[in-house]
Parts: sequence; C-alpha cells; structure tokens
Amino acid sequence: MVNDAKVDIRNLNVWFGDNHVLKDVSFKIREKAVTAIMGPSGCGKTTLIRAINRMNELICGCRTSGEVYINGHNIYDGNINVYELRRKVGMVFQKPNPFPKSIYENVAFGPRIHKMANGREIDEIVERSLREAALWDEVKDRLQDSAFNLSGGQQQRLCIARALAVKPEIILMDEPCSALDPAATTKIEALIRRLSKRYTVIIVTHNLQQAARVSDFTAFLYEGRLIEYSDTKSVFENPRSELTKNYIAGKFG
Amino acid sequence: MSGQTGEKVIFAILGVPMLICILIFLWILSLLLTGIGTVRWELFTMSALRGGMLEMIVGTIYLLLGAAAVAGPIGVLAAIYLVEYAPSGGLTRIIDQAINNLAGVPSIVIGLFGYTFFCRHLGLGVSLAAGWLTLALMMLPIVIRGSEEALRMVPASFREAALALGATRWKAISSTILPAAAPGVVTSVILGMARVAGETAAILFTSCVLITRGLPKTPFEPVMALSYNLFVQIVALGAPAQRVFGITLVLFMIVTSLSLSAILLRSYYRLRQPWLRMKG
Amino acid sequence: METRSFKKGLPKLFMHLRSQPIEFVLFLCASFSVVILLLMLLFVVMEGSLAFTRLGTQLILGQMWKTNSDLYGGFPLIYGSLMVVSGALLISIPLGICTSIFIAEILPFQLRDPIKSVIELLASIPSVIYGFIGVTFLAPLIASIFGLQSGATAFTASLILAIMVLPTIVGVSGETISAVPIEYKEAALALGASKWQTIRNVILPLSKSGMLASVMLGFGRAIGETVAVLMVAGNVAMVPTPPWNYLAPVYPVTAVIAMQMGEAAVGSLEYSALFGLGLILFIITFAVNTIADVIVRRRPVGRSVQL
Ligand SMILES: Nc1ncnc2c1ncn2[C@@H]1O[C@H](COP(=O)(O)OP(=O)(O)O)[C@@H](O)[C@H]1O
Ligand SMILES: [Mg+2]
Repeated sequence: MVNDAKVDIRNLNVWFGDNHVLKDVSFKIREKAVTAIMGPSGCGKTTLIRAINRMNELICGCRTSGEVYINGHNIYDGNINVYELRRKVGMVFQKPNPFPKSIYENVAFGPRIHKMANGREIDEIVERSLREAALWDEVKDRLQDSAFNLSGGQQQRLCIARALAVKPEIILMDEPCSALDPAATTKIEALIRRLSKRYTVIIVTHNLQQAARVSDFTAFLYEGRLIEYSDTKSVFENPRSELTKNYIAGKFG
Repeated sequence: MSGQTGEKVIFAILGVPMLICILIFLWILSLLLTGIGTVRWELFTMSALRGGMLEMIVGTIYLLLGAAAVAGPIGVLAAIYLVEYAPSGGLTRIIDQAINNLAGVPSIVIGLFGYTFFCRHLGLGVSLAAGWLTLALMMLPIVIRGSEEALRMVPASFREAALALGATRWKAISSTILPAAAPGVVTSVILGMARVAGETAAILFTSCVLITRGLPKTPFEPVMALSYNLFVQIVALGAPAQRVFGITLVLFMIVTSLSLSAILLRSYYRLRQPWLRMKG
Repeated sequence: METRSFKKGLPKLFMHLRSQPIEFVLFLCASFSVVILLLMLLFVVMEGSLAFTRLGTQLILGQMWKTNSDLYGGFPLIYGSLMVVSGALLISIPLGICTSIFIAEILPFQLRDPIKSVIELLASIPSVIYGFIGVTFLAPLIASIFGLQSGATAFTASLILAIMVLPTIVGVSGETISAVPIEYKEAALALGASKWQTIRNVILPLSKSGMLASVMLGFGRAIGETVAVLMVAGNVAMVPTPPWNYLAPVYPVTAVIAMQMGEAAVGSLEYSALFGLGLILFIITFAVNTIADVIVRRRPVGRSVQL
C-alpha cells in the first residue's frame, strides 16, 4: 500500500535471550508522514522502533534477523556506519531525558559531535532547532539555564529540538507524551503534525486517540506480530482483524 | 570511517590497563602455583610442634567462625534496622557514615584498639576471644552492606503482601523478607570471612602466638593462625621457602575458596530469583 | 513507625509493646558501629596521651625516630608512608580508572562479569600473601634491575601497594560509571554519538566525582596497609636522600606500629608514641573516608524522573 517507502522493514525478528519479541514483522513506512505504532504494553513497540536505528544491539542478549531498508539501503548490512545511521534517524524517548547540561548545550551536543558546525553556526543551529520544536520563544532568554529547570513538556520539546539539530530524516518517538500532562501533550501533538511536513515521523503510542489524532498511517502490533497496517482512518473505522477491533473497543491493553 | 579507527585505537589504549590487571592476577597465581611442587602435603595434618601446620589451619578456622558468629547476627540485625526501620534523618546518616568509616579504619589501628580494649581493659588477654571480637569489627561493615543490599532487593510487594495479611512489621520481616534475602545475607557473611581470613595486622597483638601446645581448649587461650605464622616466619625467622610456600598456599586456598563461593552464590541466586533478573 | 500508629484497644497496645524490644535491639545493633568508633577514638587517645603531652608536635614533626635513645620523631615515618602511597596511587589511578571504563563500557557483555570476578579475587588476596610475593619475587627483581644490594625500597612497596589498591579503585569507579542513568547514554548514542564520544562527553563528566571518591578510598586503603608494606619497604626510619629517591628504604607508620608494639612495654613512652601514630592514621583515614562519602552523596546526576 505504500509505494514511496522511506523505511522498508522485511521479516524482522528480534529476540531478547530466549524471548522472541518481534516475529516476522514486515511493512513499509511512507516518507514525510506520521506512522503510529500501537498495541498493548509489552507487545514489542519499543523494540520495533529501536530496530530502526539499531539501538537494540546495545542491550545484552539481543539478536536481530531480517532487513530494514532506509532509502533503499539495508541498515543491518556490515558496511553501514551505525553512527551516521543514528544521526539520520533521530529518537525521542518515552521519558524526557535531557542531559544534565544547559538548554543550549543540549541542542548543541549533536552538531558538535558530528562536527557539523562551529561557533556562530552552532548558535544558528540551536536557534533553528528550538524554533522548529516550538520552544524558542519560551527559552530564548535563558539558554544557559539547566535543562532540568524546564517543565516536563518543555523538556520533551527540548529533546525533540536536540534530535532535530543533527538534521535527521526520520524521527522515532517512543510514547513521547506518556509522562506529560494533557496541555503539554496537545502541544507536542501539534508539533508532530508540523514536523511531518519535513520529516518522516514514526510514533509509538498506546493511546488510541493520540494515534487517531496525529497519524496518517497506523500499525497494530500484538504479541510481536504485525496484525494490521493501513491508513489511520481505515484502521479505526473498519479494522480487518478481530484483534484490532477488540483493541480499539478497549477490550484489552 | 576514520573516526571509527580512532575509536579503536582509544579502546585499545583503555584495554591495556585491564590486560595488565589480568596479567598481574595470572602472575600471582602462577607464582603461587609454582610452589605447589615443593609443598609437603603431609604437613597439613601434622602438629606444629613437629613442624606441621595443623594448629594454624584449625586456629584460622576457629578465628573465622567465631568472628562470623559475632559479626553475622549484629550485622544482619543492623541491616534490618537500616532497611526496614531507620527514619531518614540525622541519626541514620550518622550511623551510615560510621559504618563507612569503620570499614576504612586501617586494620593495624583496629589491632591497636583490640589490644588495649579487648585484651587489656576487658581482661581477655592475648586470646582467641579477643581475636574474634577484633576480626568481627573488620567483618561488620561488609556484612551490614551486603545484607542491606540483599534486603533492598526483596520487592516491596512481598512486604506489602505480608503486612496486608495483618502481620506485624517484625513478623513480616522475619517470615517473608528475611527468607527471601537469606542467600544474599549468607553471601555477605562469607565475603566478610574472606576479607578477614588472611588478616594479620589486626590479630598481631590480640590473639596469636607463634606456637602453641595443641589447640586452644578455651577461648581465652592464644591461637596459631596461618597469616600470623606466615608473617613472623618471613619477617623474623626467614624460614625455609617450602614451609612458607605451604602456609601461603593453604591460606590462599582458604581465602580464594571463600570469595569464589561468595561470587558463585551471588550469581546463582541472582539467576534463581526471578524478581532480581530485571536488574541485570 | 507504623507499628506505633494510632491503633486503639488493649490487645493492640500489647502488640505494640511486644514489638518494641525488637526494634530496640535492631537499633542497638545498628548503632554498634558508632559506639565502636567512639570507643576506638577514646582508647587510642587515652593510650596516646602520654606521648602527646611529652612529645607534643615532635610526634609529627620530629626528625629522629630512635627507640634506643627514646626519640620518637614521626616525620620520617609519615614521610615514608606518604611517599609509598603517592607512588602507589600514581601507578594505580590511571591503571584503575582506565580498567573500570573499559570493563563497564567497552568490554563485550559476556566478559564483564567474569573479569569483574577476577578483580574481586585480586582484592581478596590477603596482604600477607602480597608481602610474601613482594619479598620472594618482586624485591629480588628490583634489586637486580637497579643494581641494588637490597630490593626492599619505597619503590617496591609502591608497586605492591599499587596492585593492592587497584581493585578498590576499579570497583568503586566502576560502580559510579554503572550508576550513570542509561537514559543519558541512550540519548547520546541515539544522536549518533560514537561509543567513545558518549564516554567522553556524557559518562565521564557524570562519574568524575565518583572516580575522585574511588581515589580517596584507595588512598585510605593504601595508607593503612601494613603487613605487605612492612615486608618490602626496607624499614629504615629516615627521609631518603634526596627526598625523592624511591630506591631507598623507608619505614612507613603502619610498619613501625606493627614491628614495635610487641616489644613496647605497656605504659612506656614508646608504647604511647605508637598509639599516637595510630591516632594519626585513624584521623587521616577517617577524614579521607568522610570526604569520599560526601563526594559520592553529592553526585551531580540530575533528578531522575519517576515513571
Ligand atoms: N532490555 C530488555 N531485556 C530483556 N527483555 C526485554 C528488554 N526490553 C524489552 N524486553 C521484552 O521485550 C518485550 C517487548 O518489550 P517492548 O518492546 O518494550 O514492549 P512495548 O514497548 O510494546 O511495551 C517484552 O516482553 C519485554 O519483556
Ligand atoms: Mg515501550
């Protein structure tokens, strides 16, 4: 159903020790759109998106098979530079995790690491990224403050700005609003919509309304299998699978 | 890609010190093992009066068991207080700090204290009992810290379940929490024993002599110990190498088997207890 | 305390009374360490008081330690201790900290626990065995390398001591590295930072203070180490000439106490001077441990968000 695929996942399997967490997951993710991955707790959502920037391999006892193509290149190929991959595929975590540094240094971290700019140019990148994350107006007068002085929602937007600063093409978000209050959630959802004009966004959520509100496409994952994947409207209005129907009706999860 | 090569170089540089540590360990091991050939094993069961080391081995074991019998209960009860009862406040901080400081007191100073306090002021003289008490002071912080860790790893749900059933706090602790923490507590006592099994400075003036006639019959007699004898023979007597090697090896085996069993026990129960698995 | 809460009725009251003695016993056991430390201070000060009144600052600053002439100037001894300890730390700090970083962050997962166990075993070897190894193998080696008559020198003592404090430094700084919240590590890695960049820019800044604490604890262990040092330091109560000559013998404080306590008559000035030295050690290690504790407690790791 998706032809111009930015990310193409084929027969992805992931194990943690003996625990077979993802089972033969295959699907294609459209460029410059928001794709939501939903499913009950523990079904493998986090594991799935962490397979897209190869973060799973940092976990002891994790094994992966299958392919993930980004822009037509299999990221599990031996000759892929994983650091460059992770620069192109940004990630926002479930709980806001700014570094214990200043607001400015948080955003500048990535560009500095990748030697993308220096001096003045870094200032520009910081400002641009904070603007893109809709945080600039709130922090422009206190860039040197500790990131911990921000509210939870602001911290999460700072983390988004930090990810944007290295000019990614894809942004992975793992339940980015689950630790936030409704007002902060609304802001971030609006931000996600805006980001999708320029970036490919993949968001994990177990909040159905959120999936319905922000996403163009929705995948439903259950016990490590991809049960349903379609445009959001059809997933919610006439799901093909019985499991999806029950999940949407709130029977489990 | 050049960044990754640079990184490999840095990692190699960081890896060399670790290799040095491992090599030091292997070196020590090989030094000790070269001595095995010269050891006359019949000495192990021969009385010291006839040049054997029976009394030293048994004396060391006496010292260890007695010290564990003193430090074990006190340490475990102290850990229970700290984990289950202690209010977070000034006094608890002081206790906490004191445990760390006690752990840091040099063993020679513990020996000095043991001599003046246990041997002289309590009138125990140079004796097994004074050795127990002195060594117990060295074991105590290890037992407390280890037991605390074991108790903290018992999930809150155990506690709540027992308390919800109407158990008093102490009942809940003794019936539910302590059994769950038992392997960790035992490990901490074994670790404490490993720490003091080869201790010399602390028993130098408090409980050891170079030679006794047979084993001590009461706790108020002095004992022989492997570590003390090794020390004196090297420093003062310049004993023949093979005899010294024998003592060194036995001591090494005792200490290493104690620490190895603590290490193995710990990894075993970490695997066995499902609620610990998440902690990695 | 919950048991002391607002439960009404006589039976409950009895239950409360019954549970109190247990709490009290537990509290006594916990306070035991405090009591012992106080007793230790009291008795060491008491036994040392003769030396403090008769010798005063000479016990620390006096240049001559000669038992036969009843001279108890501790300076050469303290100097010897510091010399040996600084030599040891100079070797073991870089070695230990690199090792702890390598084990915690770079070594493959499967090897971490085995290697940690090896370090732990290294820590459990008693000092008398280290002394034995020093006397039997290291000292002759040093003697032949540097063409000395005796291999019992400050340098030999530093080497042995370096090995002995290595596990402390590796262990404690390894713990602080592992205590860095994984969120920070993942944040850096997800931005495409390499392993080394993550270590340098995220992990090290956050574990600096813990590493400092590990060094302090190593210092405390080293300065209190007795038996091994005594066997290889040469035990000459003089400041070497020149003072930085590591190939000269020294007589560290701990060694003096261990060697002379046996002969010192109870109540004599010598006996008291040895306790005076003991008090100096006690104070140094007490201070070092307290500082290390404060450092560890003030770790600048940000607030952790509870989920
Ligand atoms: N670090 C880990 N080590 C071992 N098992 C893990 C780890 N992380 C997740 N798992 C297992 O993988 C499964 C899927 O987890 P996850 O992807 O986090 O689910 P979700 O994000 O959908 O809640 C779970 O059964 C979980 O137990
Ligand atoms: Mg998840």
